[in-house]
Amino acid sequence: MPDGQTAVARVQEAFPQTVMQVGSMHGVPMLRLHKQDVPAVARYIHTDPQVLGSLSLLWAVDHRPREARYELCYLFTLAERKDWLLLSSDLAGGEREFASITPVVHAAKWYEREIRDLFGLIPVGHPDMRRLVRHEHWPKGSHPLKKDFVWDQVLERVQGEYAYRKMHGDGVFEIPVGPIHAGVIESGHFRLSVAGEPILQLEVRHFWKHRGVEKLFEQQRLTEAVPLAERVSGDTSVGHSVAYCQAVETLLGMTVPPRARYLRSLFLELERLHNHIGDVGAICNDTAYALAHAHCGRLKEQLMQLNDRLTGSRFLRGVNRVGGVVLDLSGPQLSQVDAELHAIEREFVEIETILFANASLTERLENTGVLSEHTAWDHAVMGVVGRASGVDRDLRRDRPFAAYHECQPKVAVYRYGDVRARMRVRLDEVHDSIRLIHTLRRQLPTGPVVALSVDPPTPGQWAISAVEGWRGEILYVVMAGEEGRIHRCKVRDPSFVHWPAIQWAAVGNIVPDFPLINKSFNLSYAGNDL
Amino acid sequence: MFRIIKKSLSTGVVTGHYPAVKSPSEPVSREAIEKAKPFRRSLTIREVDTGSCNACEMEMNALTNSIYDVERFGVHIAASPRHTDALVVTGPVTVNMERALKDVYKQTADPKIVIALGDCAINCGVFKGSYAVTGPVERHIPVDVRIAGCPPRPAEILAVLDMLRGARTEADK
Repeated sequence: MPDGQTAVARVQEAFPQTVMQVGSMHGVPMLRLHKQDVPAVARYIHTDPQVLGSLSLLWAVDHRPREARYELCYLFTLAERKDWLLLSSDLAGGEREFASITPVVHAAKWYEREIRDLFGLIPVGHPDMRRLVRHEHWPKGSHPLKKDFVWDQVLERVQGEYAYRKMHGDGVFEIPVGPIHAGVIESGHFRLSVAGEPILQLEVRHFWKHRGVEKLFEQQRLTEAVPLAERVSGDTSVGHSVAYCQAVETLLGMTVPPRARYLRSLFLELERLHNHIGDVGAICNDTAYALAHAHCGRLKEQLMQLNDRLTGSRFLRGVNRVGGVVLDLSGPQLSQVDAELHAIEREFVEIETILFANASLTERLENTGVLSEHTAWDHAVMGVVGRASGVDRDLRRDRPFAAYHECQPKVAVYRYGDVRARMRVRLDEVHDSIRLIHTLRRQLPTGPVVALSVDPPTPGQWAISAVEGWRGEILYVVMAGEEGRIHRCKVRDPSFVHWPAIQWAAVGNIVPDFPLINKSFNLSYAGNDL
Repeated sequence: MFRIIKKSLSTGVVTGHYPAVKSPSEPVSREAIEKAKPFRRSLTIREVDTGSCNACEMEMNALTNSIYDVERFGVHIAASPRHTDALVVTGPVTVNMERALKDVYKQTADPKIVIALGDCAINCGVFKGSYAVTGPVERHIPVDVRIAGCPPRPAEILAVLDMLRGARTEADK
């Protein structure tokens, strides 16, 4: 299996007639192609058994006012060594159309619809041209990420209706759910087509919570946008802020001091812990097993109170800054973390034993909401959901960041892809997180926690950053603009990839299991809608 | 079975095990207390998310865990606006959620109170000005109580609910 560079050579070999420029950006091999050649090359990278690239990110940039062109970038993660390979192509001048790669790379589906909505560029050949982000009441021609779109304008409201995918047949009816749900959860719409109890089709329609995050980033300075990154998805405040900070640090050529890297890893693991424990409880709650929910809720609350004592924020907000971390943890604080985690792990083991002794719980979880390995691959699924479906990917091991070079996680992989597997991944990761935190604390180097600031980068430079948050891979692409401002910031929460996949996991299950399946994915609506 | 009982016994009662908080920065207005009076010792809440980052939802959920246990004060979380006395709204109101919020408000039976939870619901927070945000909650529906914070801690939310409740018991005397 090839690394990035050999993959580039293989692509060149396979397409001798195609004109391409080979380059690299911060160590990521990059191929610049003519836009009409992209689908063929993307297909080759995605399907060739020697390369097997899975689409990790697809984003567009409006280069105005410096240059009158749009750029489309396709980031692939190669199967074996998890190297990255980047394709890019230009739409110069007044061009508005580009060839869709969705027919050959399924994972591009939502990305291309998103680009159509936000940039007004048309993916020709895309099988689904309905609007995604801009709901039907948005006026025609309002494409927020175009540089001539004023960020704080007031949009007028027009008439329009979304065309849901219809299912016909005897006894088939639709159950609309949302945007406002019965529980205390975020807003989103699910349309279930059912015949009796079994779900025949699930359609997810989101973006109710679209707040214009990417445009808001463009109004900020590189070094000052951390609070916004923390509020992309509140439950992943650390994941998003670390990902953002790393991208900016690469741009500014900063070296983060070792102690700050360790503390970042520690905060990431604390965030993973309270979310995973909460999720285990919530999954049990959706099978009406209130006892486990109560115990897990209690442990989660203990962890959040610990976060509050350590940093003054239950969500660990305000700990990261560009160049390092804002606050250092003292010796007594770290001992407190150690002691508390020992107690929590002891309790968690007891709760696990209680869980798996309960057949009525485990039977609800087994074979429910199966996301097959094949579907997972097609959707380029990763993170907790991916690892439960046999996708052996974890950025902490594959592209180590923060302190994970020196402190490697054990990656939990299960193959069944059902609710139980997703719960098992979380259970294993809880134990591993606690182990990692103990190790991080033991190895914690001394020294400063913040790097000195450097001059702003040249406009047009950009950097990609990837962080394994507790849900999965969080990707940020940050491009520098004039005078230290942000020209473009692409944010990709793992939820954006997993929402289309959940549509397939629900098919064939009964309606009462849908909340359970949804909970086992536990995706962010805010991080998806942006 | 014995394992479960043993675990429950060794855990004991955890309700109320949280650090005390300072009283809320913005006191609950007399009008709001007056308005909350009909709900006496039972207040049913419907939570509506109009574009939050989901941290406020997590804190609302935390209210129902065994440590805060909001139900001991007669506060319930309902699944439908039709069963509700109070709407708790989180997040700035996005362009896409504006209509849903107004619909929910209409569906909620009178008398009702509206609680804006978190900085975004009060003043749009970091999302202020965006093309996709139409403004704070009070631009669309009348707001009676504001709970500031990003996000407010569960104990802080509880303190405000307490004030609404406390006023009622005083009036009962």
